[in-house]
Amino acid sequence: MARLVVLGGGVSGHTAATFAAKWLGSAHEVIVVTPNSKWNWVPSNIWVGVGEMSKEDVTFDLAPVYKKAGINYKQAKAVSINPEGSESSSKPFVTVEFTSKGNEGKTENIEYDYLINATGPKLNFGATPGLGVGSELGEFTVSVCTPDHAVHANDEFQKSIQKMKNGERQRFLVGTGHGLCTCQGAAFEYIFNIEHEINKAGVRDMADLTWISNEAFLGDFGVGGLHMKSMGFAVSSKIFAESLYTERNIDWIIGAHVNKVEKGKAHYELLDGTMGEEEFDFSMLIPPFAGVGLKAFAKDGTDITSTVFAPNGFMKVDANYSAGAYENWKASDWPSTYQNPTYGNMFACGIAFAPPHTISKPMSSPNGTPINPTPPRTGMPSGIIGKAVAHSICDKILKGENSPLHEASMANMGAACVASAGKGVFTGTAAAMTIYPVIPDFEKYPGTGRDTDYTFGEIGLAGHWIKHILHYLFIWKAKLKTGWTMIPE
Amino acid sequence: MIKEIVTYPTPPSVQYAIDVRVLDEEIETLLQDLKDTIKANSLEALAAFQIGSYYNIVVIAKEDGEFLELINPRVIGHKGRVTTVEKTAYFPNLSANVTRYETISLVYQDRDLKQRSLKADGAFSILLQRKVDYTFGSTFLNKLNKEERKQFQKKLEFGSDLAISELCPTTFKRDYIIKLINIIMIIMAILLLASLFVDEPLSKEFWHYQSYLALSAFSLNIIYFFYAQYEGKRFTSCTSCQIGNIIGTATISLIKLSVIMIFSYLIM
Repeated sequence: MARLVVLGGGVSGHTAATFAAKWLGSAHEVIVVTPNSKWNWVPSNIWVGVGEMSKEDVTFDLAPVYKKAGINYKQAKAVSINPEGSESSSKPFVTVEFTSKGNEGKTENIEYDYLINATGPKLNFGATPGLGVGSELGEFTVSVCTPDHAVHANDEFQKSIQKMKNGERQRFLVGTGHGLCTCQGAAFEYIFNIEHEINKAGVRDMADLTWISNEAFLGDFGVGGLHMKSMGFAVSSKIFAESLYTERNIDWIIGAHVNKVEKGKAHYELLDGTMGEEEFDFSMLIPPFAGVGLKAFAKDGTDITSTVFAPNGFMKVDANYSAGAYENWKASDWPSTYQNPTYGNMFACGIAFAPPHTISKPMSSPNGTPINPTPPRTGMPSGIIGKAVAHSICDKILKGENSPLHEASMANMGAACVASAGKGVFTGTAAAMTIYPVIPDFEKYPGTGRDTDYTFGEIGLAGHWIKHILHYLFIWKAKLKTGWTMIPE
Repeated sequence: MIKEIVTYPTPPSVQYAIDVRVLDEEIETLLQDLKDTIKANSLEALAAFQIGSYYNIVVIAKEDGEFLELINPRVIGHKGRVTTVEKTAYFPNLSANVTRYETISLVYQDRDLKQRSLKADGAFSILLQRKVDYTFGSTFLNKLNKEERKQFQKKLEFGSDLAISELCPTTFKRDYIIKLINIIMIIMAILLLASLFVDEPLSKEFWHYQSYLALSAFSLNIIYFFYAQYEGKRFTSCTSCQIGNIIGTATISLIKLSVIMIFSYLIM
């Protein structure tokens, strides 16, 4: 009987664990270690953040779902990995610390045959003074990264609406809270949902909305932008985004590294080296991501964290981490099997794997501050990667250790993204975008590095319906209800 | 080498803003071609797209005869708004009122691919914004407000600023006449249908009403025909005001009327 331990129960970890449990059956064991008792459909958090959905709408209890799937569920956070085992046993194990009520602080060593690291990110609020401490959100801004953050964001948002109704003008500042953030899409959705809601509340004329981000051009989205194709014409997402921001009367500050947040004020440095500050009454700034801080130890107890993990805390996989300067980057730098190069029974998926470099053009200010979006590994790609990794491990268990690994390189993968710009059955809008491949392949597609026939976008009401339908569809899938395997990642 | 300047209707881009990653011979040649073409045509600036390349490059002619090479330019800061009349080699002989930022901050790379920045205001700021738009697959058409865009599209159709003396309205007064005729014909159709379910004396009475209604619809068609031509002469740029359209609309209306009357005559 083999044992697979999955660290993390987010989109990628949950996908990997549930498929592995289905393929392995009861003959082998799947353990999921996640500090949360609930699963969260993160893309809908932005609707919680404007009061259009409740926390319950975007979460569900994991325990009954894992019970149904035959998965051994431990509500705990992983602390360290011993991929070579200990001096007394050569069996590798992971040390976890329980977070469930009544068991807080208790630790356990869980032995494994195969390990999937899908811990997701540490929300590194502490990287920007004033944005928070460590992974804790600070007092000056709000966030929509977790359901609880989103509930808090909505409370503050409703207060702002009330103030505007009482005749007090409000300044909204939404975007990225550091020069090396990813997830511009979530902030993009949030600012447009705010705009939509204050319009509905009849107080749009009392609000000044400003977007702040580390993108060098509006519409970069951390993927170096994309072009929107319609009627034979192709226009950059920059032009599309600028038109949308102008139409909705949202001002923007780009190429910005937020370096300090105070009560009602954000300080930033721009790509041209100038410093600025922006005052706000309400601000949602996405924090940068880092690895969750897992440690790794050799058999003799030596710290081998730097062997297993990249300096940013994400796990090293089969990527080319020595690609060098921008002009040398290739699509093949990106991992395809997500297997750790040192320990073949460890894999990483979703945000937890260390990317070889960014997708957007790397840039920095004359002061040497790097300001560019870091690569997104969320949503559709993280689900696909989770499934591929589960497939590889199941093949190794069921067909033999030398079974070929399944591949899911983001350089050969398309992704679809539906970004909400306002919720409403008849008044909602969303930008639906597809991009192929996610990682530009300059050798295969000279020029933009992307296949222009499969990279396009549209904005409209239909996009909103798709986004809303996807909300129910993916929660249905995650709950493992009838036909869940038929629903794509 | 002097290159031919790309003009409308060639789409601004099918592949946009290819960032320059290595400054090789191809890029060196492209930079020189841009300069040669600017000189030969006495232009202020050119984006690479305008001579058929999709690289993210803009070359500006400076007053001292030198050139400013902007590789991978991005506008990262802006202040104020200003509306000016703009012309560009992409739309020869045409102009439009475009609203842009008064001052901008731009980051770009120089020939050594070293990152640099500049601030621009006034006409230089506007010129830079227009050229950077080209590198991202856009013309100033995307910057126009709805009214201005509609007017500019009309200018494009005629190829000149001068041909546009007025805008083609989206609704005409003559449309109301057609609407009235349609309402009359719907009433006639209802009467025709109702006659199937009533006694003969009542059906005869319906026929009287039907005749009056038919006469009204016919008269309105005559009025429509002449009024539409009068209205069409006021909007010479409007293709839907052409005589062919007017005759077609009147004919279709009369055919519908005739069909209803034939059935009415046979049934009532």
